[in-house]
Amino acid sequence: MKNRLKVLRAERNWSQQDLADKVGVSRQTINAIETEKYDPSLPLALKIGRLFDQCVEKIFTIDDFISRN
Amino acid sequence: MLTAIFHRKRKAAEAAAKAIKEAGGTIEQTKRVYGTRLLVRGALWGSIYMLSRGLLELDTLAPAVRVVIALLPTPFFVYYVWTWMKGVGEMDELERRIELEALGFAFPAFIVFLMTLGLLDLAIKLSPNDFSLRHIWAMMPLFYFAGLWRAKKRYQ
Repeated sequence: MKNRLKVLRAERNWSQQDLADKVGVSRQTINAIETEKYDPSLPLALKIGRLFDQCVEKIFTIDDFISRN
Repeated sequence: MLTAIFHRKRKAAEAAAKAIKEAGGTIEQTKRVYGTRLLVRGALWGSIYMLSRGLLELDTLAPAVRVVIALLPTPFFVYYVWTWMKGVGEMDELERRIELEALGFAFPAFIVFLMTLGLLDLAIKLSPNDFSLRHIWAMMPLFYFAGLWRAKKRYQ
C-alpha cells in the first residue's frame, strides 16, 4: 500500500516523533508506515486522516486496486 | 482471593498507564515504565529460581519440602509473565504485531526442535545432564528472541 504520509508530514514541518505523539503510536510505527513496510490498522489510518484533515483514500492508496478498477 | 489480587493489580496498572497518558506521556514513556517493571520482576523471579535450584541440590531435605521449594518460583514467574502481557497490551499496534510474529515463529520452531530432540534421543540416547526438562525450557526464550529479532528486522 502506498501513502503520502511523509509528504504531508514534511508540509507541516513535523518530525516522525511529532506525528507519532499526535496519533498515539511509537516513532518506529510511523517510520514503518512511511517506508511502506507496515500497513496501519483502520482506526490508525482514520486518526491520521483526521489529523491531516483528509480522506483516508487520499493518504493511503492501493496501486493494483486502482489500476484494475 | 488470587483473582481479587490480580484484579486490584490490573486496575492499578491501568490507572498508572492512564496517568502517564493524561500527563502528556508518550508511548515511549509507557514502554519505559513496563520495561523497568519487567526488569525488576524478572530479576525477582530469576533470584527465586536460582535459590530454588541451589536448595534442590541439597539431598538432606525431605521430599515434601523439596516439592514446596520446586513450586516456589512458579507464582513469581506467573507474575512476571502477567507483567509482560500487560506490557504487550500497552504497546502500539506495530509492536503488538512484532510480538505476535515473534511468538508465531517461536512456537512452531520450538515444536520442530522438540520433535528433533525426541528422535535424536531415540537414536543416540541424549545425556540427561544436557537435555533434561530443566535445560530444555530455558531454550524456549531463545526461539522467542530469534523470532523477535526476525520480526523487528522486517519492520525496521
